[in-house]
Amino acid sequence: MLRSDPERLIRETMARFVDQEVIPIAEELDSKGEFPQALFQQLAEMGVFGIRYPRGQGGAGGNTTLYCIICEELARGLMSLASITAMQCLMGTNFLFHYGSDQMRADYFLPAMRGEKIGCFCMTEPEAGSDLGAITTRATAVDDGYLINGMKTWVTDGPEASFYTVLCQTDPAKRLRGIGYFFVPRDLPGVSLSPRFECLGTRTTPICEVAFKDVLIPNEYRVTPEGRGLSCFLAILAEIRTMTAALGLGLQRGAMDASMQYTKERQAFGKPISKYQLIQSKIARMATNLEASRLMVYNAAAMIDRGEECMKQATMAKYFASEAACSAADECTRIFAGYGYSMEYPAQRYFRDTRFLLSGGGTHEVLQTNIARWEGL
Amino acid sequence: MQIIVFIKQVPDTTEVKLDPKTGNLIREGLASIINPDDRHALEAALELQAAHAARVTVISMGPPQAIDALSEAMGMGADRAILLTDPAFSGADTWATSYTLGKAVETVGEFDLILCGRQAIDGDTAQVGPQLADYLDLPQVSYVYAIESVAAEQLVVKRRLEDGYERVECRLPALLTVIGRMKTPRYPRMGGLLKACRAKALIKVWNAADIGVTTAEVGLEGSLTHVIKTFAPKFERRGEMLSGETADVVQTLVDQLKENRLIAP
Repeated sequence: MLRSDPERLIRETMARFVDQEVIPIAEELDSKGEFPQALFQQLAEMGVFGIRYPRGQGGAGGNTTLYCIICEELARGLMSLASITAMQCLMGTNFLFHYGSDQMRADYFLPAMRGEKIGCFCMTEPEAGSDLGAITTRATAVDDGYLINGMKTWVTDGPEASFYTVLCQTDPAKRLRGIGYFFVPRDLPGVSLSPRFECLGTRTTPICEVAFKDVLIPNEYRVTPEGRGLSCFLAILAEIRTMTAALGLGLQRGAMDASMQYTKERQAFGKPISKYQLIQSKIARMATNLEASRLMVYNAAAMIDRGEECMKQATMAKYFASEAACSAADECTRIFAGYGYSMEYPAQRYFRDTRFLLSGGGTHEVLQTNIARWEGL
Repeated sequence: MQIIVFIKQVPDTTEVKLDPKTGNLIREGLASIINPDDRHALEAALELQAAHAARVTVISMGPPQAIDALSEAMGMGADRAILLTDPAFSGADTWATSYTLGKAVETVGEFDLILCGRQAIDGDTAQVGPQLADYLDLPQVSYVYAIESVAAEQLVVKRRLEDGYERVECRLPALLTVIGRMKTPRYPRMGGLLKACRAKALIKVWNAADIGVTTAEVGLEGSLTHVIKTFAPKFERRGEMLSGETADVVQTLVDQLKENRLIAP
């Protein structure tokens, strides 16, 4: 039976989209710092947001490998567009899809797949990041549902979102066993947003604080079963980290492509700088890191698709590919020299955007601690 | 309404490079794409599909990897696809290609409209569409950039001319060759692409026997023309510095431009 390879087909399609639609306007979008609505809508029309959800339920019937391919290709063009897409495909809609009612899926999930609504994930608080047991946003059971009170920060896509998946504590005495996810539409009374944050990188990705004051939600808006909030989160954490690694991989490719082109064009002392060994050393290091990142990302993604436990591999991939992205962006600015310091060239954007990778999916300080623990320390 | 669209998978370049020793196309590093004019033809068919509940069949002739072009067409929304692939088809000139495609159309059976791209970016002949219309004895309109209206037995299209356009009324069934239009062809949908990769996908693979042709009629053997040699023309520049008094230099320059017929003598 002669059939196409789905991974190659999806990659080639996304690569063409990025080359034709994203890269030509990436600098302009980044400098304006506005939500890339037109590209977001195009991605919706291509069915990208449903890549990891089943066919017949609003999804495309893909898997984590295909999701990572999409994230990688988008990040090659514009990291902030990739992060917005990653949120809509996974964290912003996952619990709604799996634990929401049929009515909630009809009212929110399917419109999100069509790009009509935007979903996002509220985890971090001013005083709690990786330490999930320390969160203070409360979901208090009342007669007809839950009252949500608290404050979330670093909410990616928050200013544009139509609904939030909010991590809340139901019983502070239970610490991690008391946490759970709650679905909160933005238009409910008591939901308020801070002004959008001014950020160093990923400037088209809108980020803000979201405050909840006596927000009343019905019982069905509790989107993880009681006592299983942490396990539900851990069930997608490996995928979040692998996706973040794929973003780092994509950024490395963008930095590598720009560096390769520049080294061949830029002349110094009568020959292209690509002919100098110190430049070749940088390219060799970037290429090697890129290859290693690629192997780690798609090894972890394949393990997820096979249903295997892979938190360690996903964490290592996220740690390695993100650090490699920082290194590649740094080398790229050095290869571009003075032009790497100019806002006219993409090197500076890669450099700024890499910082997004260092905290999303877990800080590298926490990840290194985890890895060392898994190694037996 | 039944529409057949012919597409060709081509190297993603408009600057074809040839191996100077073998004369063969250097494909290394080149991705394969649906020929741009063919993509516009497919987009036109998909617009008719939406407006007139048309059924769109996409056909391509090529090596097995051309399945990717058909999968992409399915991802864009085509209803079914047929790959014509057989070692016997290789090396076909435009006549043998048109004949093979014509036999495929006869095997498909009923249709109302055939859409082709004007020409492929690798061969640039623009012959296959018109020759196919001739083989099938169909009315044809070339260089179409807009389909204005479609009725049961006729359609009205606009075709591009060098200095304007013609509005043409044409009875059905007919064949149109399509050029780039105002609207950018759509990108395929992820779900459609993945569906096209499944064993159950409505993609058929036909060989010479399936369309009732013999190997002598198709491919290199069935071609009326044979390529003796393929080479890339050399573009060489020769610089010449003129020196001396300005008036003399200008006069020399003008004389040389006249001599090379670059300005009027």
